[in-house]
Amino acid sequence: MSGTRVDRDLLLNGMNKTVYIILAFAILVVIGIVFSGGPQTTELKQAVEIKDGVQYITIEAEGGYSPRVTEAKAGMPTKLIMKTNGAYDCSASLVIRSIGFQKILPQTGEEIIDLGTPKAGVPLQGVCGMGMYSFIINFS
Amino acid sequence: MKTYTFHVTGTHCASCKILIEDILGEQSFIKNPKVDLKKETMEIETESGESPEELAKILTEKIKPNGYTISVEKNIQEKKNDLPAQTGDVIWKAIPIGLGFLALFFLLQKSGILNLGIGGETTWVTALIIGLIASVSSCLAIVGGLVLSLSAKVSQDNISDTKTFILFHAGRLFSFAVLGGVLGLVGSAIGISFTFTAILGIIASLVMLFLGFNLVGIFAKNKITLHSGIFQKMTSTFRKIEHQTWTPILIGFGTFFLPCGFTQSMQVVALSSGSFGTGALIMFAFALGTLPVLALLSFGSASFAHSKHAPLFFKSAGVVVIGLGIFALLGGLAGLGIINPLFSI
Repeated sequence: MSGTRVDRDLLLNGMNKTVYIILAFAILVVIGIVFSGGPQTTELKQAVEIKDGVQYITIEAEGGYSPRVTEAKAGMPTKLIMKTNGAYDCSASLVIRSIGFQKILPQTGEEIIDLGTPKAGVPLQGVCGMGMYSFIINFS
Repeated sequence: MKTYTFHVTGTHCASCKILIEDILGEQSFIKNPKVDLKKETMEIETESGESPEELAKILTEKIKPNGYTISVEKNIQEKKNDLPAQTGDVIWKAIPIGLGFLALFFLLQKSGILNLGIGGETTWVTALIIGLIASVSSCLAIVGGLVLSLSAKVSQDNISDTKTFILFHAGRLFSFAVLGGVLGLVGSAIGISFTFTAILGIIASLVMLFLGFNLVGIFAKNKITLHSGIFQKMTSTFRKIEHQTWTPILIGFGTFFLPCGFTQSMQVVALSSGSFGTGALIMFAFALGTLPVLALLSFGSASFAHSKHAPLFFKSAGVVVIGLGIFALLGGLAGLGIINPLFSI
């Protein structure tokens, strides 16, 4: 009697193990989807304006950066406007390595960053302090 | 010179060997202490004329604070870890459980529920609310991950965990208030460097990864291990500092500097407040807001650790901590500009 009991337990354990492994894979896929950005809902509202020969790029920072990818013109004086509205999260602590910019943005307001005259083909990348949010501006 | 063999109890990890040998090696009357983890025995050479019973008593005194005892006779209580079939299966259960928690956590970040956008002037009430939000935000990946890994490890190593956790949380609240006050007092004179916090974050994530693997049991699997090896050294060092009273207080203090957008925002508010009182109040309120979740993590760990689900809990916690550690490490490296940001949640 005990023999069959043990066999069944072993079988059940084996089955459990398979179930757990399948479950683990399923959850991994979910995490993968979350990280790869999931269904892309990036609104294509590009905020690039040219006024008096100066290019202004506006990026909103709150729970991430939007837009995440911006296309802008190279070879003209450019200013980056970081807009915040009650941003306390990581996106408020902005780092742009290529121009040596590191600052905690005001919780609500605008921070104007002079980008000089960007060259074509050299994208500008901004990351939040913990590195989980980022944005990129392509110049062409 | 005589050689004695004693039985050792409490050696549940590979590092115990090194720790015991280190401590006993410092005693002048003992030579070449050698611990055999597999047999749970220990050999020493000594010139002292004490009886083996006396020696066992003296030596136990030295290592008792670390949870080991030495005896002449083998202690009859059988070790509970003699259930290979069960522990082997636990890991398969722990992986989906741990991953499940990770998925929930990342989904919560993605959902945008946490981006409340609190406007207006920052008072201590807003600081408290922001603390509450921060404690379930991505900051949880670093601060919470660190608290969870350390708590689980502390509970696993049978240290008086309640005292340790209270010291940690009290130390954290106190340091936040004081440092917030200092920020308010000196104003913009000191800015907390991003690079500094990022490096600290990377160190924290490495500690999490190390503890995570340790909890899952990858390093501890083989009780007999190499004499040297960096992980052995780390475990040994870790076990030593783990037992100090100041360690939890110091870690609580250190969390002030860990990279977390919310903490940094609050630091700026404290900085611009211009007075010790306001700065202290804001940072204290913020830390108080983060307390419920962090306290739940540490005291929750303790209660799980003392329940019959302990092996499952340690392994699941290990999986969660490894996940958060990888997340924090990649983020930290991206923040420093070493790698490109791999993800954006």
